[in-house]
Formats: sequence, C-alpha cells, structure tokens
Amino acid sequence: MRAGSNKYTTSEKKNVDYGMILQQASVPLMFIIICAVCIPIAGLSPSYLANEIVTRMGRNSFLILSLLIPIMAGMGLNFGMTLGAMAGEIGLILVSDWQIVGIPGMVLAAIISIPISILLGIFCGKILNKAKGREMITSYIMSFFINGIYQLVVLYLMGFIIPIKHSSIKLPRGYGIRNTVSLLRMRQHLDNLIAINVNGIKIPVMTFIIVGILCVFIIWFRKTKLGQDMRAVGQDMEVARDAGIDVERTRIISIVMSTVLAGIGMIIYLQNMGNIATYSSHSQIGMFCIAALLVGGASVDRASIGNVFLGVILFHTMFIVAPRAGAYITGDSMIGEYFRVFVSYAVITLALIMYETKKRREKSVSGQQLRAEQDRDEAKASGKGGNV
Amino acid sequence: MTESITMKDKIMASLKSFGLPRLIITGFLLLLLIMAPFVGADLPTQISNIINRFSWNGVLVLAMVPMVHSGCGLNFGLPLGIISGLLGATLSIEFGFTGAFSFLMAIVIATPFALVLGALYGWLLNKIKGGEMMIATYVGFSSVSLMCMMWLLLPYHSPNMVWGFSGKGLRTTISLEGYYNQALAGIGQINIGNVSIPTGTLLFFALLAFGIWAFLHTKTGTAMTAVGSNPVFARAAGINVDRIRMLSVIMSTWLAAIGILVYEQGFGFIQLYMAPFYMALPAVSAILIGGASVNKASIMNVIVGTILFQGIVTMTPTVMNNMIHMDMSEVIRIIASMGMILFALTRKTEASR
Amino acid sequence: MRSRRVLFRAGALLIVLLIAALMFVIGRGHTVYFDNKTAEYNGQTYEAFHKVVVTVDGEQVAKLGKRDRGMADTMGQKFEMTLEITDEKGAEPHSHKVSMTLPYGMDGIIVNLPELMAGLPADAYLSEFVIAPVEEEETEEETATDEFGIGGDI
Repeated sequence: MRAGSNKYTTSEKKNVDYGMILQQASVPLMFIIICAVCIPIAGLSPSYLANEIVTRMGRNSFLILSLLIPIMAGMGLNFGMTLGAMAGEIGLILVSDWQIVGIPGMVLAAIISIPISILLGIFCGKILNKAKGREMITSYIMSFFINGIYQLVVLYLMGFIIPIKHSSIKLPRGYGIRNTVSLLRMRQHLDNLIAINVNGIKIPVMTFIIVGILCVFIIWFRKTKLGQDMRAVGQDMEVARDAGIDVERTRIISIVMSTVLAGIGMIIYLQNMGNIATYSSHSQIGMFCIAALLVGGASVDRASIGNVFLGVILFHTMFIVAPRAGAYITGDSMIGEYFRVFVSYAVITLALIMYETKKRREKSVSGQQLRAEQDRDEAKASGKGGNV
Repeated sequence: MTESITMKDKIMASLKSFGLPRLIITGFLLLLLIMAPFVGADLPTQISNIINRFSWNGVLVLAMVPMVHSGCGLNFGLPLGIISGLLGATLSIEFGFTGAFSFLMAIVIATPFALVLGALYGWLLNKIKGGEMMIATYVGFSSVSLMCMMWLLLPYHSPNMVWGFSGKGLRTTISLEGYYNQALAGIGQINIGNVSIPTGTLLFFALLAFGIWAFLHTKTGTAMTAVGSNPVFARAAGINVDRIRMLSVIMSTWLAAIGILVYEQGFGFIQLYMAPFYMALPAVSAILIGGASVNKASIMNVIVGTILFQGIVTMTPTVMNNMIHMDMSEVIRIIASMGMILFALTRKTEASR
Repeated sequence: MRSRRVLFRAGALLIVLLIAALMFVIGRGHTVYFDNKTAEYNGQTYEAFHKVVVTVDGEQVAKLGKRDRGMADTMGQKFEMTLEITDEKGAEPHSHKVSMTLPYGMDGIIVNLPELMAGLPADAYLSEFVIAPVEEEETEEETATDEFGIGGDI
C-alpha cells in the first residue's frame, strides 16, 4: 500500500511540476519587478548600490544559511534562530568586557556562544518535539520567551552576578548592560582581513570564504547518515521511525545545529555593524532572515543554498531602495520605511499560506487515494494511513 | 485514612489539570498581594488599578473565545480586528462626532470593516486548516504594517488627529479628550476612597460576555463547539464546518474591534502605527492563564485570566520596586506570559484534522 | 568503540579550550598612550624631546611635540614601535626600535617616552590610564541600528 501511494505521488508530481516551478518562482519574480521599478526611482549610484549589496551579503548570508537545516528536518522556518543570536550577543558582550579584540575576540565570542547555543537549542528542540505540527508558532513564541530570559541575564545579572568591569559597557546604576555596546576594536576586522577593491566595490573576501565553508559543510552534511536521517524525518516522521531513526533526537540535533550556526552568524553580522544594540539587535533578525530566504524562492519545506543568495540580493536591494523610492513617490520618507516592513511580513505570510494550502492539497490527494484503495481492498486497509 | 489519600489524589489530579505554569503565576500574584502592604504599596489603589485595567482589556481577551471554540486556535490575528476598531475610531472623529456619542459611532463605523475583514480572514483560515495560528500571526503583522502606510496616506483632515506642521498623516497617539475618553467608565462610576470602579465599562463587558455565553448555548453556538471539538463528527452531523468557522472568525474580529475601542476609552488615547503589533500576545496569554487551552475556552477563563494577568502587570512594578529597588516587572511579564503560551502550545490536543 | 568516542570528544573539547586560552593571550587589546613629557624619577629629571614621531606596524600613529600625548590601539602583549626622535630644534632625528611587554591587567597604558629612552625600569615609565569616572544621567541614548527601529514591546 505504501509503495502504491508513493508511485501515485511521483506521477502526480510530474504533472504539477510546471505549476510548482511557477509558484516557487513567483515571489522572486515579484521582487525582481519591485526592484526593477524602485532602483531607477531611488536614483542611487550603481557603485553605492553594489557596495551595499555586497556588504549585506557578507553580513547576512551566514545567518540565513543557519535556517536551512531545520527546514531539511521538516521543522519549518526556525524562528528560534533568535536564540542563537542572543547567545552570540552574550559572547560578544563578555569578550568586549574582557577587552579581547579583533579576530581573536570573535573566535572567543564564538567559543563562548556555542555552549549557550547548544543548551538553548536542546531546550527549544525538546519543546518543539512536544508541539509537533505547530513548530513554527512555538519556535516563534519561544524566541520571545528566551528574549525575556536574555533580558533577565543581561539587564539584571550582568554586573550583579556575572562580573562586568568596564563602565563603558555597564549601566551607571552598577548592573546591567547599556543599550549599545561598542565593538569598535572588532569592527569589520573579519571583513578587512582579506578585502579586495573592485571598481570601488569592497569585497570582504574572508567573510565570503567562511560563508563558502559553511555552504560546503551543508552540502556535505546532506550526504552524511545524519543528514539523510533528517531528510527522512522531514519527509515523514512515522516512516522514519519505522526505519529505526530516533526521530526526536534527530529533530533536536537539527535545532541545535541551527542555533549554534545562528550564534556564529550573529557574531559575523555584528562585527560588520560595529556595535551591539543590546536589547534590539536580535529581535528582528529572525524575521529578516526568514523573509530574505523566502524571497529567494524557498518555501517552508524546501530551501537550497541558491535560495539564500538570491534572497539576500533581492531582499536587500528592496531594503536599500524602498525608502528612497517611497520618499520620491509620496514625498514622505516614512512611507518607504513602512513599505519594506510590510513587504517583509507579506512575503512571509504569502509563503506560509502557499505552504499550508499545498500541504492540505497533498493531504486530500492522499486521502482520496486511500479511500480508493480502501474500496478496492477493505481488508488490507490499515488504520495507519488514516492520519496521513 | 483512605479518604485522605483519595482527597490527596484528587488535589493532585486537579493540580495537574490546572498546570504548573498557571499555578506559579497564581501563586506569584497571591504573593504580590500579600507582600504589597508590607512594602508600603497602597492595596486599595492597587486593586482599583487592577479593576480598571481589567475593564480596559476584558473585551480584547473575550475576542479569543469564538475562534478557540470553533477550533481555529488562539487568535494571534487579533491586530486585524484592532485595525477595524482603529478605523472606526479615527473615522468617527474625522466625521466630527464628539463626546460619548463618538464612541457609539466608532462602534457603528468599525462594524462593517470588522465584518468584511473578518470574512476575508475567515475565508483564508478555512483554506489553511491546521496552520491557523502561525498564519494568523503574520496576517496580523502584515495588516498592521500595511495600515502604517495607510495612516499616512489616507486623506484625514481633522486637526486633532493629523500632524500639525504638514497637515496630513495621522499622529502616532491621538488624545480622546473631548471625544469618547471615559465614555463608558464615566457611567455610574463608583468612588470609595482610593478605589474607583468603572461601572459602565464593567457592565459593557458583562453584556458582551453574556451575549457570547448565550450565543454559545444557541443551536449555532453548540454547533461551533462541536466543530471545535470534533470536526469530522460535526461534518457527519450535517454541520457546515467552513461556515461555522467563518462565523467564529468574524465574531472574534468584531469583538477585537470593540475591544480596542473599550481599551481606548479607558486609556484616553488612540495609538496608531506599530502599537497594535504585539497586542495579540497579552490577550492570548491572559486567556491561557485563566485556564483556557488551545481548543477550549470559557467566559470564566476570560475573567479569571484577565484579572490574573492585569494583576501581575500592575502589581509587579510597584511591589518589586519597593522591595528590591529593581524594576524587573517588564522581564517578569514577558517570561510569565510567554511561558504560559509555550506551555499551552505543548499540550496535546487533537490538532490533527 | 565507545571509549574511543569519549576520548575523541574530550580531545575536541580540550582543543577548543586551548584555542579559547590562546585567544585570551593573543587577543587582549590595549590602548597605549605615549607621553612626551618631562618627568622626574628618583630625584632625577628626564627632559622631554623636541619632537617624537611614533610608528607602529609601519603606520605613523603620532607626531609629538613637547608635552604632547599620542595613542595607539594594540592587540596582544608584545608591543613594538619605532621612535624617530629629534632632541633639539634643527638637530638630526635618530631612530630607535623599541619593544616591550605590556601588563595584561591594564586596558590603557601610559608610556613616558623620555623615561623609556633613558632605560629606566618599567615601573618608572609605565603607568595605568584611568578614565575619570563621569557622573552620568540615567538617560540612555537611542541606538542606531541598521534596520528600521521598530523594536517590539514584548
């Protein structure tokens, strides 16, 4: 019965393929149009635009790549990547208090962030295992919950229990971290390590090399036993369980990996920015990364490395040009600001709707299939297929 | 002896169904209430604050009930209804209505918006059964950010609402002085010493709550509960599931629109732009603290939950500040309310349809 | 098999910890201030130079006249600089390569150049730069971030 239904879906897939491709390309196409309209209106010089896009690619790619692994494991868009971002920030705050600067500072911050990320990831994964079928909303609420804990630690415990020496980081009241922590002595150290200038466009080669290493790692990881297991779990948890895969553990590992990568990604992101907005840097980062990934043509259950880079380019081009274009068209600079916020949310909404409708359609297709088979051979129809 | 053991079992069982987070939150509030006089906080003022804040927020929390009942989950899309309410509020002022009458007109104007948006929202949620909560969240976000542009672009002219220097675009906060500030609270307000009870608002809430309660006992109402608890059975019994779900979403949206108006008349200001963004989360956690779950909610949950939630919101800052000179209220509020939502999401429900 | 795995993990952990320790040593940042000031030590006076040009890592970081102070950010404990000293006006400048070990515990370090060049011990020419504690109000500046400033309430 299982084999029969598989055959059915593969033949079904061939028919839907064109529609699928069109659907997948629709969001990137829409963005290409938006960008094509906005770029001339915004009137930014090509070199400025190119510079900005290259900078943002270096800054955001790593973070967005961290989303790929949970998607592989069928856990949807990991809104809990914010957890890793917070771990990265804690690492950076401590390192800047110890005055460890430059690349060694980043490495040390990453080493500090990793155990925190692992713990948060395990916690998040365990909770998500209890909320199967609604991972996304749970991981989304999780990011708020851990943000509360983060604030407790950073605003009250740092300087109180966790020693913080420098008054440039500590609030004047004696405990808690300031709104902004300067990373001046780490600022763009990674980007400038090997930086080449092409026609006035600065290319942070070292950052791209690290992003490249992560890409290679992800490609390699897909082929490992664990990666295969994750894909199996992502396809069908029950089948994976029957095949002897520890589904719960695999899911937790995928979240832990994503959280750890997000922590490192946040460190790369912040070294480029040059300062930490202690209480807000992480709050929007999940949303932006997810929006960028979806703009690149990914969906909730399918994302590739290509989606990441296309998404960064398109999403951030829109981000750069929208305020200027909006100001030019309406005479109010805020319109463009709100427009890009709206677009980010609308893209995510659209992608979620597309995913859910697709899921329902597949469900009803397999339901019909099941019913047909049941009619044919009532005795063989097991209760198992009922919950597909 | 045996009796005491069964008693113990009973207590343990009821505690288990009550849920640990809820127990912690209730215990925490009780602790705050006990501590309050010792740390020099004025208890009557505190209680008065809780009652007032309850009256502001009650309807917003009530807006959760219909959707939970029909199995659409927690209404994270509350901002959509809030936007209808805001449209009603701003248009009522724009058309020149003043005083308490502007409140009535705001409700009247908000209603069609709520019905239309609610119907669209309900139609959408029927398309994506099973993934309601996440999509609801993002529908709320998208609509709020879309309206951010609209507040700037729509041709409002009332000088009390637009930016003074440019003469267009609504302000971020609009004072309701001269409009419907305290429109409900002022009706039959009782003042005893430091305690003031907004009788009108409470009655208005009671009226709506009773309306919902009565509705849930009508034929359509029981059908709604049936759809929520077992959609397959409901369909077999000849109930049009999609229509019932749509109705519940419209009701929730309309209640949210009314809810924000009630909130504004107590608060005294209309807050636009990003203000409605996260308004769903306090309402969601309030009803959960009150004992609701993802697919079960009663009027009692609303009342208890709002009192507990608002109790924590109002009591923590004062008590904490007086006790340890650290204002940790914000952090405590986030951890408590988000922890509650997380807990509810991890409970087993028959979410699979 | 299992013990090999544990051993492997312990080894990996050890390596990570070693890297962390290494980062502590090589990554420690200091700010070095150079003073070209007349100073007194053990009753002896050391006159400031007419002009000193300080070069760190091939980059000229300060050009100091009498009673001037310059600064440079450094990483790690070993600090090397090249001083180009003009003793008097019109005199031919002479170049010196100086290297020293910075104390780990100090963030800001003041180096008095006349005392350093006279070959005095470290406690003579080195002193800690302490930022005078400024009374601040509790108000915090708004943070400028890259993206739009709509941080959430909750």
